Amino acid sequence: MKHVILVLTLVLTPLPALAHKVIAGVFAAGDAIEGEIGFSNGDMATDTEVIVTDEAGIELGRAMTDEDGFFTFVPTQAITHVFRADLGAGHVAEATMLAADVVDILGEEAPVAAAAEQAPSAVAAADTPTVAALTDAQRKAMAEAVRDEIRPLRREIAAYKEHNSFQTILGGIGYIAGLFGLGFYLAARRKLAV
Amino acid sequence: MHIVDGALSNPVVIAGAVAAAGGIAIGLRSLTLERIPAAGVLSASFFVASLIHVPIGPSSVHLILNGLAGLLLGWAAFPALFVGLLLQAVFFGFGGLTVLGVNALNIALPAVVAWLIFGRLIGRGSPLHGAIWGGVGGAFAIAGTTGMVAVSLAVSGDEFIPAAKLVFFAHIPVMAIEAVLTGFAVLLARKVKPDLFLKGATL
Repeated sequence: MKHVILVLTLVLTPLPALAHKVIAGVFAAGDAIEGEIGFSNGDMATDTEVIVTDEAGIELGRAMTDEDGFFTFVPTQAITHVFRADLGAGHVAEATMLAADVVDILGEEAPVAAAAEQAPSAVAAADTPTVAALTDAQRKAMAEAVRDEIRPLRREIAAYKEHNSFQTILGGIGYIAGLFGLGFYLAARRKLAV
Repeated sequence: MHIVDGALSNPVVIAGAVAAAGGIAIGLRSLTLERIPAAGVLSASFFVASLIHVPIGPSSVHLILNGLAGLLLGWAAFPALFVGLLLQAVFFGFGGLTVLGVNALNIALPAVVAWLIFGRLIGRGSPLHGAIWGGVGGAFAIAGTTGMVAVSLAVSGDEFIPAAKLVFFAHIPVMAIEAVLTGFAVLLARKVKPDLFLKGATL
């Protein structure tokens, strides 16, 4: 009997959590889009392929998640990006980044590059004073540091949003009681009328 | 166990919704005045059962309790479980509104089948005898649901065997727990309220 239990535990343990909600989020991270995919109980989707499409479903590219469920994708077009990952057994993660946000990501690079081609001296003159104290590399490093700092917070907020409060549960039970009470009333009225 | 929005192809979603509507119609017709309170109670227990997580290793699974609802309600399990699923989707975000029909079918149909097979056996003989069949019926309903989920995924493009294996093996502990729970529920009901059981399984 012990052996059976042992074998069963060993067979069952590697299975992913099936009974949980899928959480997916995408955020701007410098010139790339960073995303996170996992389950509401904290298990992250590791080594999962993420398919990136536009709104019409035309594939733009693919990405793989790392062991923390993170993936990055570098956008090339300023259109809405839809990220989709199949976690198996009916779990599909989907997250969307709107065109406006993608423009912001591309905007960090595109206008500078475009302007540099047209009028390098004028842009340099107009641009440098405002960022004189910080080089591009420094700004990137700061942005990176801030992102690392808020990542656990982001995860905690996502987990908190999935939390079912006692009020919600009681509310649901109340709805059921009301609904079946109404059904009971209607059925009783019909019976009395006969 | 709850399939989420977007995991299934449109024909599957539509077929599921139509079939679920049919089941609900049959269920509502069989739901007599005397059985409405029982249906409400079982609907509420189904609604709450999904919040009870049973830790297994590093992961956890939740209870479903569709077998108990089916064994006690027969076809009326359709509307009862549908209401529970609807509220779970709205309040907790389990599953989704577009796949509600498929989920209702996947969960309620095995419950009704369990009742058709075991319903008669539960009401007969000693309460312990009934409880054992109740336990078998409870486990059967979960197994049936995992099969239905795998079929839904398979016709939407997933490969059937791996999908079915994954869902089935992950729910073996749930089957065991629900068998015990359903068995005890039937035992208690047989002792304190024997008339709760429908007289035999009739279509």
